[in-house]
Amino acid sequence: MKHDDFAAQLDAYVDGELVGSEAQDMERHLRECAACAHAHERRRVLQATVRERLPALRAPGELRSRVQLAVRAAARVTPARPRADWRWLAAAAVLAGVVVGTWKITASRDTAGALAGEVLASHVRSLMGTHLTDVASTDQHTVKPWFNGRLDFSPPVYDFAGRGYPLIGGRLDYIGQGAVAALVYGRRQHVINVLLWPTQRGPTAGPAAVTRQGYHMLHWSAPDYTYWVVSDLGVTELGEFSRLWRQADSTAAR
Amino acid sequence: MEPSQLTRFEAAVLPHLDAAYTLARYLLRDDHDAQDVVQDAYLRALNYFDGFRGTGAAEGRSWLLAIVRNTAYTLRANRRPDAHATEFDERLHSEGGEDDHPETELLRAVDREAVRRALDALPVEFREVIVLRELQDLSYKEIAEVAGIPVGTVMSRLARARRRLEQLLAAAMKEHD
Repeated sequence: MKHDDFAAQLDAYVDGELVGSEAQDMERHLRECAACAHAHERRRVLQATVRERLPALRAPGELRSRVQLAVRAAARVTPARPRADWRWLAAAAVLAGVVVGTWKITASRDTAGALAGEVLASHVRSLMGTHLTDVASTDQHTVKPWFNGRLDFSPPVYDFAGRGYPLIGGRLDYIGQGAVAALVYGRRQHVINVLLWPTQRGPTAGPAAVTRQGYHMLHWSAPDYTYWVVSDLGVTELGEFSRLWRQADSTAAR
Repeated sequence: MEPSQLTRFEAAVLPHLDAAYTLARYLLRDDHDAQDVVQDAYLRALNYFDGFRGTGAAEGRSWLLAIVRNTAYTLRANRRPDAHATEFDERLHSEGGEDDHPETELLRAVDREAVRRALDALPVEFREVIVLRELQDLSYKEIAEVAGIPVGTVMSRLARARRRLEQLLAAAMKEHD
């Protein structure tokens, strides 16, 4: 082999792609050729520099849950749901609050961010497939009893057809590895998903608004339930819809 | 999907989320786009999983990364329809003074931000072989599978990409002086 052939294979040598006699020939040439030895040293240092300065990245936790949920949903396999997860999160938040005051804020913000990702995934999934509702009915007295035996709580169900937000139905969904109630409403051609679960079960936050990928999410925690409302509807109308819910909630509580 | 298929998928493909994110993040230079591409790629991977003939986790990695790469390129093409009007030309894109490279002492001292900026400035075809080789430690054969090019092209492309990277680092350090 000539000098040029060795020079062309320098990268393969640095990358450990030359084996046996090829590698031995290269090593002999590097001892004899100062130019190649110098180029080899530069390559080695460049490689070490890139590897040291640019670490591989870790996927954000939110992406991790989005992917896991999407995989589960696409595979249509019911996940195992260790309820303890929620309690652990709540306990951790309380503990953190005791130890370092500021940490709790960061933790709950991360939790809300992760929740937003899951809520959005649930909404998008419900629109993509044929699984918008498990029970399709505009009658709240049909939808509410449907959840009996499917959830360990009986979710409030209201119909706002008179206000332009008709009930379409309900379905079972999973957020944070726990089963939650999903109520589906319509507004013209838009779909609104309301995801709710007992407030005591998980971290509380809000009321707050999140916008992601063109979808708006509003969430708040009432004493009994934590709500996430998600839609591609404008944030003004979504806000009106949320107010209707809170009014209905407080009326029902009286 | 059959439960046994899902188990296979979870063993061979799911563990490579970090690798998928790393590749997408460096190819797209945008966190939101990277996350969307990774999620999309996983859904595609599920759909195409019947076509996956591999057995081990390493094969699952290059198989998934190839899907991530193609999904990212599709997004780039949709974002900038004119971007592929000029075909990538290795020789053209690696033009520059052959001897314009930093001394090894200087190279050792270069900081993280400068390396990241230099990598971001590379044409995407160069950037991906660097990321697959240096950050993910893939072999030439695996890189060939992911990028859809012959092994010989992997070698020459890596050589050109590194030369270009050296030039960019040299230029950055000159600016710094």
